[in-house]
Amino acid sequence: MARFDEMSALLQRGKARDLATMVQEELAAGVPAKDILEQSLIIGMGIVGDKFKRNEVFVPEVLIAARAMNSALTILRPALADSGVEPIGTAVICTVKGDLHDIGKNLVKMMIEGTGINVIDLGVDCDKDKIVTAIKENNANVVCLSALLTTTMGYQKEVIDAIVEAGLRDQVKIMVGGAPVTEDFAKEIGADAYTPDAASAAETARAFFA
Amino acid sequence: MDKKELSAGERFRRFVKGESVDRLPILEWAPWWDQTIRRWHGEGLDKSLDALGVQRYFGMDGCLQTYFTWRTPQTPHAPQHGHGIIKSAADYQKIKPTLYRDPTTFYSKEYFDWLKKTGQEDGDTVHWFTVEGFFWMPRELFGIEDHLYAFYDEPDLMHEISYDNKEWLKKVFEFIGNTHRFDFMTFAEDMSYNSGPMIGKNLFDEFLAPYYKELIPIIKQMDVPVVIDSDGDITDAVDWYASVGAEGMLPLERRAGVDVSKYIEKHPEMFFIGHFDKTCMAKGEGAMREEFERLLPSWQKGKLIPGVDHQTPPDVSLETYKTYVKLFKEYATKL
Repeated sequence: MARFDEMSALLQRGKARDLATMVQEELAAGVPAKDILEQSLIIGMGIVGDKFKRNEVFVPEVLIAARAMNSALTILRPALADSGVEPIGTAVICTVKGDLHDIGKNLVKMMIEGTGINVIDLGVDCDKDKIVTAIKENNANVVCLSALLTTTMGYQKEVIDAIVEAGLRDQVKIMVGGAPVTEDFAKEIGADAYTPDAASAAETARAFFA
Repeated sequence: MDKKELSAGERFRRFVKGESVDRLPILEWAPWWDQTIRRWHGEGLDKSLDALGVQRYFGMDGCLQTYFTWRTPQTPHAPQHGHGIIKSAADYQKIKPTLYRDPTTFYSKEYFDWLKKTGQEDGDTVHWFTVEGFFWMPRELFGIEDHLYAFYDEPDLMHEISYDNKEWLKKVFEFIGNTHRFDFMTFAEDMSYNSGPMIGKNLFDEFLAPYYKELIPIIKQMDVPVVIDSDGDITDAVDWYASVGAEGMLPLERRAGVDVSKYIEKHPEMFFIGHFDKTCMAKGEGAMREEFERLLPSWQKGKLIPGVDHQTPPDVSLETYKTYVKLFKEYATKL
């Protein structure tokens, strides 16, 4: 019998090496990679996300859980590819031009990856042209824009304008976040969603692919 | 003493102790953003003025920060913002000889003579000093993200760093105690963000609390109020820092959902600095008056020294800032 609950528990506790070992054992025992991903890892990250939203776990615990998730995914990916399992979609993420803060962006990236979405991380201080190019090249359907400064949040609108100008607005859902960003601001600049934390961002992104 | 003769420092100290004062301290605890100052230069502010000169230009109490850093000129610099200078215990041992500066080498005698002049002879300036707290300091060494991993990956090293920092801070406090009377001090922490603290209470209790519990009584013996500087939503963190003896917190960012009235109710022994929503300033006099009205009950309880909740942003013109100061002076007498 597959040890889905045990793998989920290891992920939630951030035990990357132990999880990787167990994932390898389960694959060797014939458990389908898709089942490990969907019935253990995604569920585990979902639990971490819920606890994070309720302030039951905090940023370090999310980081080590996401790291464990990545260690498991590294092992699972070849098996997933062999069995024809594809990511449910692709998201492009970055911190916008003029802003070098990346921990919020990194958290969102890891949480979104934990829902089975392929994430293209463009890094920090990201120019609108680079974002538009990445959407085209990766056929992305979601764009996540982070800004931590009141002086850089305005650039989120410039990016949205550039996406409209490039004729890509109907292709992508645009999510914005960061310390000074609010729901009202997101509406004002024409974003599709504002999310206050990484777990909500992952839920929202996943819902866009549902 | 006649309340009208209070120096800025005396007024500050009396206010935070709940003693009678002539008016509220009117101060900016943090200097203005570079971009804001550049804008004001374009609008007529004298470019030759330093930070104290600008405060005096507006007719505010002066507020001077003296920063004591563990860095030396030999300490390596992070390759870019947010990145660290160590990843392991070996890295820490390698750079340790470049850390923990001799406190007597920070500032010259002339600097302290000047501080004394502004505080006592001019009498218009509040003095505070800052050291880095037990969240902030290891974060500077590890970098933002690796620091958060380090709570789980490098617990022994985290304790070693904080132990070293604590022992060094004792020397810093001894030097300060023998050198200058400051009106308050802060531990720089920035442990919280929009959604609350970055770490949970379990990590706070293990990695921060023991060091604060040892150091804060030493500072209190110097009769210097202990304030924690942490941005973001500090609703949980207020309780934690109160439990280790902190007496105040700043800047209480309104946009992070902070409500000082709740903290005052829960911790009547504490005082708070800041909390004036910087984002209302550009909306003009009506919005700023409304914000002062919101804060009025908190300072009338003697528990809040209002101030911009983390520096005036560059969308505020020089004229608008003058209006802010005018309103501040009007409300400062409503005790």
